[in-house]
Order: sequence, then C-alpha cells, then structure tokens
Amino acid sequence: MEINVNESNGVAIVYLKGRLDLSSGTALKEQIKTLFNDEKIKIHLNLSDVEFINSSGLGALVSIMKETRLRKGRLSLSNLASYVQEIFDITQLSHIFEIFPTEEEALSSYQSIKIG
Amino acid sequence: MSNAVDQITDLLSRLQSPDFYEREEAVRNLGSFREDEAVAGLVMALEDPDMGIRELAGDLLADMKGDTASRLLVSFLGNADIGTRNLAAEILVRIGSEAVQPLLDDIDNPDYDIRKFIVDVLGLIRDDRSVEAICRKLYDENPNVACSAAEALGEIGSTEAVPALIGAFESVDDARLQAAEALGKIGDPSALEKLYEFAETDDSMVQYVVLEAIGNIGQAESIDRLKKHLDHEDRTIAETALTAIINISMKHGGKFDGDLPLDKFTEFLFEGIRNHNRRITEFTLGRLKHWYSQDVMFRLLDVLDSVEDDDRERISDILRDAGPSAAVSILERFAGNTITTKLTLLDVIKEFLDDDLAQRLIGFIDDPEPDVRQKIAHLLGLSGFTGAVETLKKMCSDSVGHVRSTAYAALGWLASENEIDFLFEGLNDKYSDVRQSALGALIVVGSQRVVERFTSDLYHDDVERQRLAVTALGMIGDADVVGPLLGAIDHPDSSVRKLAITSLGRIKSIDDPRPLVLALSDESAAVRKAAVTALLDIKGQAAVQDIRALLEDTDVWVRYHTIVSIGDLGVSSYAELIIPYLGD
Repeated sequence: MEINVNESNGVAIVYLKGRLDLSSGTALKEQIKTLFNDEKIKIHLNLSDVEFINSSGLGALVSIMKETRLRKGRLSLSNLASYVQEIFDITQLSHIFEIFPTEEEALSSYQSIKIG
Repeated sequence: MSNAVDQITDLLSRLQSPDFYEREEAVRNLGSFREDEAVAGLVMALEDPDMGIRELAGDLLADMKGDTASRLLVSFLGNADIGTRNLAAEILVRIGSEAVQPLLDDIDNPDYDIRKFIVDVLGLIRDDRSVEAICRKLYDENPNVACSAAEALGEIGSTEAVPALIGAFESVDDARLQAAEALGKIGDPSALEKLYEFAETDDSMVQYVVLEAIGNIGQAESIDRLKKHLDHEDRTIAETALTAIINISMKHGGKFDGDLPLDKFTEFLFEGIRNHNRRITEFTLGRLKHWYSQDVMFRLLDVLDSVEDDDRERISDILRDAGPSAAVSILERFAGNTITTKLTLLDVIKEFLDDDLAQRLIGFIDDPEPDVRQKIAHLLGLSGFTGAVETLKKMCSDSVGHVRSTAYAALGWLASENEIDFLFEGLNDKYSDVRQSALGALIVVGSQRVVERFTSDLYHDDVERQRLAVTALGMIGDADVVGPLLGAIDHPDSSVRKLAITSLGRIKSIDDPRPLVLALSDESAAVRKAAVTALLDIKGQAAVQDIRALLEDTDVWVRYHTIVSIGDLGVSSYAELIIPYLGD
C-alpha cells in the first residue's frame, strides 16, 4: 500500500492507495504515530484509492481512532469506495468514524471545530 | 333622489321591526346608501337588541368612514350602555384619520368619561394632528383623562410630545407613571437627561417605570447610568435596571461587552430563559461564553428542558466550549431530564469521552428510556474503555431490540478473543438487526477462532446463518478465510457459492484458483457471472482463456456480462473474440 501525507490548514491529510490489511494497517499505524509525534492530531484519511479492506485493516483504523481520541485529536475519513462503505456499515463503524463524501467537505468541517 | 329618501325612510322604519331578519336586512341595505339619513340609521342600529346586528352596523359604518358617521359615533361615546360606547369607540378607531377632527372638536366635552374615551381613541388612531390637543389634556382636571392622555401620546409616538410629557411628569402626580412610560415608547433620546434625574426618585414604582423607559429608548450611553441601580437594595429595581441594560444591549446587536455583576442576577437571568424571554435568553446565552462557574453550569442544565430546540443547541455548544468539567456536571444532573435533553447531553459528553466519563456513564445504563440506553451503549463503545465490556454484555440482554443491536456493535469495537462465544450468541437473536450487529462485531474482532466458527457455520442448519457466515468470512478477508471460501464454492446453496466467489475475487491472493474455473460451469447463472468477475480480478487477462467459453453460455446475462468484462480489459486483440456476438 502507498501512503502519502499532505497538510492543509493544520490538518494532516493521509492518502492511502491499495489494500488495507494486516501489513499495510501496521504501516499506516506507524505513519500516524509519526504524525502524533510531530504533534499533529487533526488527521484526515482519504480512502479513495483503497480497493480492499479486511478486518485487520479495520482493526488498524479503530486503533488509530482510539489513539486520536486519547490525544484529544480528531480523525476523519472520506471517499470510501462502495465495498469499503459496505463493510463500515455492516460493522457499524460508520457510526463511530466521521465519514465525509469528499475530502473538501471533511476539511471544511475542521474550520469550524475547536480541538484540544 | 326622492326615491332613495323613500327607500331609506322605509328601511329606517324596518329597523323597529320585532323580526330579526327584517332588521338585519334593513341594516344591510342601509349600508348601500351614502345619505346622512342612512348613516344615522346605521348608528341607531348600534343600539339594536341583537349583538349580530350591532356588529353588522358597526362594520358598515367603519367601511363608510366619513364625517357624518364620525360625528354621530362621537356622540355615542356618552351612551349610557358601556357596550354601545365601546362599540362606537372601536368603530371610530377603524375609521381612523377621518374621525380625528370630529373627536378633537369634542375633546373638551364636560363629561370626563367622554373626554377620556376621545383621548383613548385618538391614541389608538395614532394621528400626529391630535398631539397638541392631547398634550393639553395632560393637565385635565380629571386624573383619569390626564393618565389616558399620557398613554395616548406614548401610542402616537411623536417626539413633539416629549416636552409636555416631561412637564407632566414633574407637575402632574397622577400621570407620572404613564408619562415616563410614554417617553420610553416614544424613544426620543432628548428625554434621557430628565429620565436619569427622575430615576433618582425614592418612589420605587416610579423608579421602576423610569428605568424601563430608559431601556426602551435604547441608547448605549445609558448603560453606565443604569449600572449604579444594579446595586439597589430593592431587587425589583436592580432587576429592572438589568433588564433595561439587556434591552439596550440587544438593540445594539448584543455587542455591549462591559463588566456587569451578573453573578448577582443568575437566578433572574435563568428564570428569564425558563420563561422564554427572548432578550434575556439571547443576552444570557451570549455572555455565557465567558462565564463558566459550576453554578452557571448547573443552571444551564436546569433550563435545558424548558427551552426551544435552537436554544438547546446553543446551550449544548456552550457546554462543549466549557470543556470536560461540563461533562462531569452534566452527569451529576443527568437523571432528572427529559429524553430530548438527555440525548442532547449525551451528544455533549461524546466530545469529552474518556475512561473516567465512560465509567460514570455506566451508572445510567438502566435509564427508563430505550433511546437513552442505546446512546449510552454507543458512547461506551466509542470511548474505547475496555472496562465497559461487561456492561455492554449486560446491555446485549436489554429488553429492547435496538438497544441490544447497538450494544453488540459497541462490543465489537471493544471486544477481544474472550467475547467471541458471547458475540456468536447474538447471531441467534430474534431480530435481524441485532444479528447483523453481532455479525459486524465478529468481523471487527476477526481472529482465527472467529474464522473457525464461521467456517463451521457455513454448514449450519439455518440457511441464513450460512449466508451470514460466508458474508463474514469474505469481510474478515485475511489469508485464513481463503480455504473455507474455496470450499464454499461447492456449497449446496447458490447464494453462498456466489458470495464466496465474490469475496475470493476481492481477496485476490489465491494460490490455486482452479475451483473458480470450475464454478464457470455452475448450474446457477449468478454464480457463473460471479466467477467471471472473480477470475478477472485474480488473474487479469490470463483469465480470458477460462471465461471465453461463457460467451456461448445459455443465459443471455452471463453472455452479456462476459462480453462486457472482456471489453473492460481494453485489449484490442480481444475484439475478435467479441465480434462474432454482434449478432447475438
């Protein structure tokens, strides 16, 4: 899986490409840990190029979400492919993650919310 | 003309008829004439024994307007019957400006009741032409007339009356309250200096009205003059001064940002919110962004049930801004609220969830409202607090299905291997949404033991359990599920076979896809289509050799799907495979 990070108005935008499973999930957690170490606690994951996710990938996302909450930060997701959305719906993880249709909508929501 | 006179004469005689309908018709017909005799007849009808006829005559007179009607009606203001007097006054108000001169002509009537009526009516007509005459009546020998004159000037709102009202305040004891009130209504800042003086009076009733008037005039510079009254020993005066400041502040968009001893008025302000006083609510909620004492938090929580939805949302925002301490306060006052407020408060708590708050939330899982229990289950899952696992397991036995459903989902977000057997029990729930939640939870846990249990479930007696199992295995999607899914390609249920093949196509990392090739010959067209897609996902172009046979499939949709799938590969050489089917 390819992981690229960008930043916009204090929000770290993480672009994921490929399959989110055990190994890529571990890599993603490492990447997010690096962001936390840089005191970046506003994180947005753009999943538009994630073609597959399994329970290990979900576990990685849940773990990242818990860590973000502990740090009083905020995590959002966007651009879920239909199959990924289906898994989020069945597991009801769509109820605990902030999910936006597009990256733009997600980023604009950060403008009006105070963190920390 | 004489014809009209005859007709009117006839109608006037009919007004004396004992028959209601005849009198009513006569009144209605009189309304179509403009002759003075007809107008007089309608005025006479104001004394008809029937109220319906009196009101009909009144409506017609109000529509006619005119000097004759007005003068006749003015004469009725002295009628012995109070109902008739009131009706005449009401019609005069409806006639409006055309009635002003007839009223002014009789404003010095020797009967003080008539003078009072005239002044009252002129006040309601609100015509500047009457200001001068009414100002004279401020000094009427009858105090009721003087009071009515001050009130009327307030209604008219002309600044011309300001000096006279100030004079009346200073010299007509009986009209002081009305004069001050009128100055507030007129709203002319030129009255302020005198009103500041008047506010120093020892008469608390007068002081009350004067402070209110200063507030109604609404000049920002008055705030400093009002502040000293906030320390008044009489609470009513102090609260009136604060109300005046609030009125001024709100007139200026709530922008006043000076220091006010609001702590002394907490009860008054929150009572205003509870009573839906718009200005007090706006002012108080606006100031609360900088006012976070524990007492204020509790009072905010106490009014939540009394306010409109928009204000409830604003209070929620204030509580969120107050930070985690607000969440603790919320839980201290949580139990006594309505369901709407509880749900709002839980939304606030969500912002600050940590292990400590999750632990406190556990104390409310027996709330009588299922929606509240459901939200608590959700928050416990969201908190990530593993200490809530046993509580959520208990909530999975809730009597209400949607609470159980959320509890199972939340358990999935927190659960470990230890809860697998418990979560599998949820697949036996009588409600499908609960079963789906348990399934979702097991997918999130997704360990080897879960895979083993679902593999076994592929051959469960219940077909639905078989389908849930293959769905779950597909979504768990790791290497452990490939073997069971390949095995499910031979499953007796075609929907299980199809789901297994679709999942294998998504997982892709299949060492030996031959079972999928065999599935191209499945008896079910849906399975064959799924096999086409899966093989292309796994093998790419190499799958074409396997799937091209389905271009001759007996099922038109399989043929169509195969043609489209090969076309989607975008390889020009495959065109020759497809061209023969242009005539399919």
